[in-house]
Amino acid sequence: MSTEMTVLQATTAAMTRAMLDDSAVVVMGEDVGVAGGIFRATQGLQQQFGEDRVIDTPLDEKGIAAHAIGMALYGLRPIAEIQFSGFIHDAFEQIMFCGTKYRWITGGQYTCPMVLRAPSFGGIKGGFWHSQSPETYFIHGGGMKVVCPATPDDAYRLLLAAIADPDPVLVLEAVPLYRSLSGQVNDDGVPAEIGRAEVVRPGDDLTIVAYGPARHLALRAADEMSAREGYSIEVIDLRSLVPWDREAVSASVRRTGRLVVLHEGSQTLGFGSEIVAAIQEHDFGYLHGPIQRIAGHDMPYGFSIGDEYYRPSIERIRAAVRRAMGFEF
Amino acid sequence: MNAPKIVSFAGAPREPVPVPLASADEFGIEQVLDAEGLPNGNRPEPDLDQATVVKMYEVMVTVAALDRIGWQLQRSGRMEFWIPSRGQEAAHVASTAAMRPSDWIFLADREPGSFLWRGAGLTQMFAQFFGRADEPLKGRRLPLLLGDRSINIVPCTTQVGSYIPHAAGAAWAAKLRGDDTRFIVYFGDGATSRGEFHSALNFAGIHHPPVVFFCQNNGWAVSTPNDRQTATATFAEKADAYAVRRVRVDGNDPLAVYAATADALAAMPDEGATLIEAVTYRMGFHTSSDNPDLYRSGDEVDAWGRWDPIARTRKYLEHKGWWDSGREAALHEVADRDIKAAITAAEAMPKPVPESQFDDVFEQPTWMLDDQRDRLLDDLSNGGAL
Repeated sequence: MSTEMTVLQATTAAMTRAMLDDSAVVVMGEDVGVAGGIFRATQGLQQQFGEDRVIDTPLDEKGIAAHAIGMALYGLRPIAEIQFSGFIHDAFEQIMFCGTKYRWITGGQYTCPMVLRAPSFGGIKGGFWHSQSPETYFIHGGGMKVVCPATPDDAYRLLLAAIADPDPVLVLEAVPLYRSLSGQVNDDGVPAEIGRAEVVRPGDDLTIVAYGPARHLALRAADEMSAREGYSIEVIDLRSLVPWDREAVSASVRRTGRLVVLHEGSQTLGFGSEIVAAIQEHDFGYLHGPIQRIAGHDMPYGFSIGDEYYRPSIERIRAAVRRAMGFEF
Repeated sequence: MNAPKIVSFAGAPREPVPVPLASADEFGIEQVLDAEGLPNGNRPEPDLDQATVVKMYEVMVTVAALDRIGWQLQRSGRMEFWIPSRGQEAAHVASTAAMRPSDWIFLADREPGSFLWRGAGLTQMFAQFFGRADEPLKGRRLPLLLGDRSINIVPCTTQVGSYIPHAAGAAWAAKLRGDDTRFIVYFGDGATSRGEFHSALNFAGIHHPPVVFFCQNNGWAVSTPNDRQTATATFAEKADAYAVRRVRVDGNDPLAVYAATADALAAMPDEGATLIEAVTYRMGFHTSSDNPDLYRSGDEVDAWGRWDPIARTRKYLEHKGWWDSGREAALHEVADRDIKAAITAAEAMPKPVPESQFDDVFEQPTWMLDDQRDRLLDDLSNGGAL
């Protein structure tokens, strides 16, 4: 039976469900116990499952990741909460040179089925460290799956999928949506398939590809521009970056011939670069014009104006759509 | 006016540091045997039977033979890389001997004897050294970064000390599961400067996982001596900051190492982890890419030669009447013969095929990896042909 949940409540529901179903699932991180995490995503879990399975760790991101790796090597399924994804870089070597490589460096003998939950993205007046989109760092070099849920149902099912996955998964959670977005979620324990995009809004003239909170901005821009300017815009939420759903993007672009890619992370070598490269390689003959990129800038995210001018804004989306529509090969 | 102070500087080998094993009490080092391999009363002999001590000695001698021949193979161009273990045989062999076969070992890179002790074959080891496909790590790791799940040995994540908390986390997981698996993790003196060492000890002080943190203090982290690695007098005392049990032991004394490790295992139910600092010495190069003449004197190496763990163990065996010159000669002959046979067998084994590098990135490859693999194979066989 479905109930109305916020993104945050759906996140908690997924962890609760996983811990009920599998005693190997443990939760660890800073303040995740009695306090329930600084966002309260783990609220009630320690009371329900005890201190052995919901572990308050020292303030040490490197240590959180490293001990989670060790637990996963032994067969547990740790869910490690990194308080903000801006703090995750202390654990970078642990994650990218240890946890995500154990399967390969041991010839498949030892595996690391851990989940890293990293509250991410801007829009909360958080300044540089609290507004991060670090996905690109964790995609380069392989071994990590990366998902970005942007709805309550995705928060629930992609987290369940991450927990069930036999390899490390980074879940970039949408902080600005935690309490602002709610929807119906059926707490049935069914995971999503990692790697499948969702066509959020069908259209014929142009495709916008987004993920994370940007999905909702893209949708708003598409609705407004359809009504005011008559463009038929398709919006695709990737939901998963590794693997990403090239088939869905390709199928859309082959129909629309125009593509705008949108993300909050820095532009240069951002995930949009990969989408653009792959689509031009795969679907060059279908394009009616150059692919447009809208991204964060190659600089820190400022406190006072970052939410408006670092993050992609609706003005920039409109401008990019108009640029794309102005070409005709 | 004062005479100018003479300072050491990079590029000049330092003055030799006296061997602390010669004054074990003064340096807080637990010791059973003196330099001549005789019990010196510092600490009682552990209750070990002849077979166990003889096996430790046989493995130590085999490790030294492996090290000598491996070095020759590297120097003659038949192997790309070598990590010497000469001088550190007792530290790792005796500590591994104290563990049960079901206990997990996280190796560093100078512990081939742990592998031999657990029964891995020399051919398998040389297949690893030569990067052959048919060994547990599929030819993916540098020589001597050994691992084999079938004998509960986890290979290192190469960055020094990065894997110390993996052992602590795994140990905590075993405890959580109610298993009686114990853990030992090897690392060097340099690793104690890394954040992960401190993360792991901090975690261990809080949660008491059943793990032995085994620091082989071999005097040198490449060219950096102990007194440029830390200002503390010992590495063992770092455990005090985290309320972790600790001991400093003569790492060239197999009986003392065995006893210290056995004590650590016995203390686990009550105290959890122990940090063991095994004081030993790297007699050889850091790796085949090093030149220790740049930074340390031959006198220092010679002084440590008096405390050679293999010679001390042999003298102890002779003192007990457990060994004779005939067995000594046979051991060396068998070790050399078996190693040479293993080299011949391993050199004949095939290297990994190109597409094998795409395996084990994930349990199931993503389409992205499938694309890259197919493109590579097509380029190699079709598009890239001359």
